[in-house]
Amino acid sequence: VGSPTSPLIALPKPAAQVVALGRSFSLWPLTFGLACCAIEMMSTAMARFDLDRFGAGAFRTTPRQADVMIVAGTITKKMAPVVLTLYDQMPSPKWVIALGNCAISGGPFLFPDQYNVVEGADRLIPVDVVVPGCPPRPEALLEAFLKLEEIIVGKRIFPRQEVTW
Amino acid sequence: VVAATEAAGAAVLPGEGTAADFARCGYHRQLDLDASRWRDAAAAFRKGEYFLLDLLGVDRGDRLEVLAFYDRHVPGDRVKAVLTLGPENPEAPSIGDIFANARYYEREIFEFYGISFAGNQDLRYLFLHDGLDHFPLRKGKVPVSPEARARLTASPFDSRREDLFYLNMGPQHPSTHGVLRVVLGMTGEYVEIADPVVGYLHRMHEKMGENRTWSQFLPNTPRMDYAAAMTYNLAYVLAVERLAGIVPARRATVLRTITTELNRIASHMLWLGAYLADLGALTPFLYAFDDRENIQDVLDRFTGSRLTYCWFRFGGVSCEVDDQFVPSVRKLVDRMRHRLDVYEKLVGGNVIFHYRTRDVGRLTLDTARDYAVTGPGLRASGVPYDVRHAEPYELYRDLGCRVPHGRTGDALDRYRMRILDLHHTLDLVERALPLLETGPIMAEKVPKRLKPPAGDVYQVVESPRGTLGVYLLSGGAEKAERNHWRVPSFPHLMVSAALMERHLVADAVSIMGSFDLVIPEIDR
Repeated sequence: VGSPTSPLIALPKPAAQVVALGRSFSLWPLTFGLACCAIEMMSTAMARFDLDRFGAGAFRTTPRQADVMIVAGTITKKMAPVVLTLYDQMPSPKWVIALGNCAISGGPFLFPDQYNVVEGADRLIPVDVVVPGCPPRPEALLEAFLKLEEIIVGKRIFPRQEVTW
Repeated sequence: VVAATEAAGAAVLPGEGTAADFARCGYHRQLDLDASRWRDAAAAFRKGEYFLLDLLGVDRGDRLEVLAFYDRHVPGDRVKAVLTLGPENPEAPSIGDIFANARYYEREIFEFYGISFAGNQDLRYLFLHDGLDHFPLRKGKVPVSPEARARLTASPFDSRREDLFYLNMGPQHPSTHGVLRVVLGMTGEYVEIADPVVGYLHRMHEKMGENRTWSQFLPNTPRMDYAAAMTYNLAYVLAVERLAGIVPARRATVLRTITTELNRIASHMLWLGAYLADLGALTPFLYAFDDRENIQDVLDRFTGSRLTYCWFRFGGVSCEVDDQFVPSVRKLVDRMRHRLDVYEKLVGGNVIFHYRTRDVGRLTLDTARDYAVTGPGLRASGVPYDVRHAEPYELYRDLGCRVPHGRTGDALDRYRMRILDLHHTLDLVERALPLLETGPIMAEKVPKRLKPPAGDVYQVVESPRGTLGVYLLSGGAEKAERNHWRVPSFPHLMVSAALMERHLVADAVSIMGSFDLVIPEIDR
């Protein structure tokens, strides 16, 4: 999925890699909760899961200081213009995490002739990482940030957790 | 209003209307009114110290109905007033000048059903967006007429108040606890008028209630209020059980009571953290989430979810708890008692907190009744009213509830009421644990394809925020004909907007926070 990550000034490759590394360890998310998933997003930022371990704990209340938007919940048609405005207000480079089924596809609120739900955040803005779940557990959001860091740097830095079931 | 009240005072009350079977349908009597008496009845109820619990529209196919539920703080007389209208250009008299909360409910009914209200000038879109071409809750697609559209999309800004400076708070604002927008008309730092705009998270729950079967709607309920998912799940299950005449298993009743109360603690913890974060104190937020994690771990073991629990079923619960349940709940209660002492030291005695809340948003009893404020907000204004005590459901009759109440009705009192509620909830859990006996967790012979007999039910429960009401109308089929939710936060939002006036904008945040608004339950 495309995302405006290219720098304005072309840097030599080693310097660009250093910049990318720096960016990946200081992602500032936007404090922007939509629905149920926002509570899990808050849980992720709190002491137990501690998003700050991965450098992404500095939640900004204004989009002008943020570089990751976590679409945490259902986007309604009334909310859609606001989401677009917020995305446009964020400075590049910026990334989007679609958290939860509603942000992926409309989730459980889809039925024929539904009149109020936008069927996925990718209908409005480019999405980099999707996190399924209703709502996803905080571990899933942590993994989404690791995935985002992988996208920015180009390779996985933290070891991948093998699923054992 | 006064003249109408005087004239109508004795005309409707007391005891008029047909008596209803309370155990079966959740209200005591039904009043069938025509349009000429609709306002008189409202005025009489206002005079008789009733409050307007709920106002909703129903599409019965060949006719439309407006239902009003009047209730008192003294239990025993909940009245359902019915106004029947024809399907073509329906119009009802407005009671917005008699009950302040009716103004908002009438806007809601107009945008969802196209029923206009004579006398209510302000019928703008409240929940919906202006791109809709039909009234969503009408059966069959009824298009929005050009006249209705003009009323729905009227400008929110009052052209006579050009002296005001308008401040737009939300929908992306950290202290609106979700996607709420409040348009504040300001003079300097002071709020002159506040106009809440909701519906940014309207997820069509009531519409979905009509197009899925009774049990398919179960997963919607926790998503309506994710802070207290169990309460919503319980309210729906109780309503359907009442409608279908299912008696839940005893063990399930005890389990449902305990888990709902645990969830109440988690909800109050979220409020405590968020409210103090609104006031500028971020430390309690970290403490509160630590407590939430502990509660979620207990519930997670058998419900399988951390937030949106859908564990209750008609007649019982979906699965058995493990042997760790009772010890872990006991441990949790002991821990929470200690933690509440910590909060008392951390917050309750903090002078900055007192300055931010004392005498802020003072709610008088009359205003509380005008807007049908319930829960801790009402108790802070001096009325000891709690559904768990007044109209005990589940196990609460055996547990013995006490209902504390405050005196001043300011934000500090509302804070105190919630802290007392936390202590009370811990007592209830401790008292309920010994009642947990072995036995089946499901009632016998609950049909898989449930078809409750035709009729309606109004079930109320005490959510952490106040009185939660569920209105279900069954036509005897596999799906509901009407599924309506009376959410406590909605009147609280209305009254917050009224209380904000002539307050500093910083205090407006304090007022909204003190009512513990949860936006998805307002938007439904």
